Amino acid sequence: MVLELRKPRPVWQIMFSTHHTDVALLYTITGLAFLFMAGVLALMIRTHLFFPGQGILISDPATFNRIFTVHGLTMLFLFALPFAAGIGNYLVPIMVRYKDMAYPKLNAVAFWMNPIGGALLWLGFSDTSWVSYAPYSVIRAPGPAADMMIFGLKILGISSILSSINFVVTILKCKHPDLPLRQVPLFAWSILTVSLMTLVAMPSYAASLIMLLTDRLGVSGFFNPSAGGDPIAYLHLFWFTFHPEVYIFLLPAIGMMYELIPRFSRKPLFSQASGIFAFVMLGLIGFASWGHHMYSTGMDFTTKVVFMIGTLAAVPASGMHVFNFLATMWGGRIRFAAPMKFAVGGIALFFSAGAGGVLNSAMPLDFITHGTYWVVGHMHLFLTGTIAFGFVAMAYYMFPFITGRMYSEKLANIHFVGMMWGTVQVFFTQHLLGLEGMARRIYDYPAEYTSWVELNQIATVGAWILGGSFVFFLANLIYSVAKGKEANMDDPFGLGGKYYYPYQAKNPTHHTGY
Amino acid sequence: MSHNEHEEPIPRTSPRRLAKMLAIIIGIQVVGAVIFFTHYDYWNSYLPMAGKIQEGLITPGGQPPPPPPPGGKTINVSLKFVESSDFKTYAFNAISGPDNNPEIHANAGDKLVFDVTNGGKSFHAFAVTDSKEGPGPAIEGTTIGTADNPMKPGASGQATFVPSQPGEYYYICAVPGHRELGMEGKIEVAPSGGAEQPSSAEVKPTGNKVEFTLSFVMSSDFKQYAFNALPGQTGHNPDIKVKSGDTVTIHIKNDSKSFHSFGVVVDPDNSSATQQSRVQTIH
Repeated sequence: MVLELRKPRPVWQIMFSTHHTDVALLYTITGLAFLFMAGVLALMIRTHLFFPGQGILISDPATFNRIFTVHGLTMLFLFALPFAAGIGNYLVPIMVRYKDMAYPKLNAVAFWMNPIGGALLWLGFSDTSWVSYAPYSVIRAPGPAADMMIFGLKILGISSILSSINFVVTILKCKHPDLPLRQVPLFAWSILTVSLMTLVAMPSYAASLIMLLTDRLGVSGFFNPSAGGDPIAYLHLFWFTFHPEVYIFLLPAIGMMYELIPRFSRKPLFSQASGIFAFVMLGLIGFASWGHHMYSTGMDFTTKVVFMIGTLAAVPASGMHVFNFLATMWGGRIRFAAPMKFAVGGIALFFSAGAGGVLNSAMPLDFITHGTYWVVGHMHLFLTGTIAFGFVAMAYYMFPFITGRMYSEKLANIHFVGMMWGTVQVFFTQHLLGLEGMARRIYDYPAEYTSWVELNQIATVGAWILGGSFVFFLANLIYSVAKGKEANMDDPFGLGGKYYYPYQAKNPTHHTGY
Repeated sequence: MSHNEHEEPIPRTSPRRLAKMLAIIIGIQVVGAVIFFTHYDYWNSYLPMAGKIQEGLITPGGQPPPPPPPGGKTINVSLKFVESSDFKTYAFNAISGPDNNPEIHANAGDKLVFDVTNGGKSFHAFAVTDSKEGPGPAIEGTTIGTADNPMKPGASGQATFVPSQPGEYYYICAVPGHRELGMEGKIEVAPSGGAEQPSSAEVKPTGNKVEFTLSFVMSSDFKQYAFNALPGQTGHNPDIKVKSGDTVTIHIKNDSKSFHSFGVVVDPDNSSATQQSRVQTIH
């Protein structure tokens, strides 16, 4: 009945299970653990930047570089991707009415690559920044850290390709024959879209990682200018993967909101068709805009215009999602439990982040903001404001179904207020810092630049509020897992509807009969 | 959802299970942290091959770099850290007398090989620096140990220093304070040149133009390759003798069955770029 404990089993049986809810639990817990680890790094960075010129907390620039590198890699590859895969594992088989994922063992293999990749990233603690741009990453980034990072990312990339294959096959081939694809819930559609995107996007990065490695070994010179290579080629290969990857991070969060908003508005979804259309549109458009990361690399004007239009084409599709949410909520009897609060907060910040993105994509403005804190603020507003909000909303929503217990609504409220406030204070301020000209990824800045000092200190206080709110989240998780109120398993949120609930998973012990 | 499910009790998470889960997560993190911090210096410890190639530390094939340019000789120096019994004076080789901190004379391009032993009772670290005071900064590649990770008593090691520029250098103990106590010796580096170095002055063209003809030949079993005639026959690999400043034109013909490419080098075992650049090779 309860996903984790349908039949009480020893912990090791869950760890080495291939059932989709068990793998989902592992994914979710791993993702959350890495979220807190990378969050600590983020707080170190922000606290360090509170005091210009004093080298407080982080004593040398190389360590600073290593910290923000691992912070970025962890949040993207060890929190965002595994968490989305975790929720996908829980819900997708139920949504397509199949007993499990299509390839349960492949599923477990894909999960177990995550801890290995994570160990390589964290043990090496490389200093290349998460993008590992050439030529630094080729010529100077010290080994073995950078090599370990390359192998770690390689493993994580293969893991996400394997889980994508699994999702695509599960949704397209294992779907119940009575269920037309257009009626598959939108969360499963979001997972289908990002899985297909991963399969198209990831090979480019996988190739560039191998090229990076052979360049580092001195046997090739793809990106090494002193061997006749071209660092810009790396940028193209990298962003061909990672602009679509932005949507790969984002769409599951939007899909989760599609799960939550109708349910907590106690109203059917406004338009299933426009949701599907917008997902597919974003999935296609995601591949038409990688060049906007590279306007300042000397691209010719026509190419830049093409990429600018490609980028702006994402606006209508994103708008369709927002309007779909608003129209669903309109006139509903909304119950603002924690998942709904985070989902609605996420929509608000999605809109703000998108507005900043429109400015960014206009190439004359991009020349001003490129490489500044504006970009840091923009992308964190997406990652924290939309993606993390959606994921946290889903974590609260799934909590009673996984544990059989209810989280503390009071602590969740504190978490929500702190996270909303903190996110706005840190990342809006970072936009302004960018306009003041502060470059990103710098270890220190002159104390004489008073506007930088003020804005940095405002941002850092915001980060402390944000970090503090996550202490309440962690406390809530730990306390409620152990001693939370027993949840009403038929309707834990008191919504009173006749919707299906995620704990209707099939018998999680089916694999023991092999 | 069916109502039958309510017949069995609903299992829920318990503090015990939570404790197990936290023990696993925190255990993995602690083990990871121990591995990370005990090898802290290792993770970011060396340049990638591509960086070493760029720095000239190795060649693209992974071989050590070519020996120093012609005229560079290898000078072996053995040094020992010594301390006076009251630990107030530190020095190399001897506290006083002719052996005290021996001065080293070399030419730019020479290779100085230091064999260093810690004969004292303190920790020391060897380095070559061009700064006139203080414990460094050390010239890259010349250190044995560092102030953070010094040579223990009795330890020994080897370092090489190839001065590319003339000037005054110092070999010192890189542990702060030890140089001031006397662990400092001078290395005088004179400009490269001297008797054995070929003159670097440009040779004026003589106006003489000489022409030669060579052809690539191979034995029928492809085991012997030569110019003009196979080994043992007359005209095999002829010597070409010209005067400095002559313009030499060499006509090449490939009479063999393989592909070949012609070039002129100064010394086949030791090709120096500066010398080669003055030979214009025409295919």
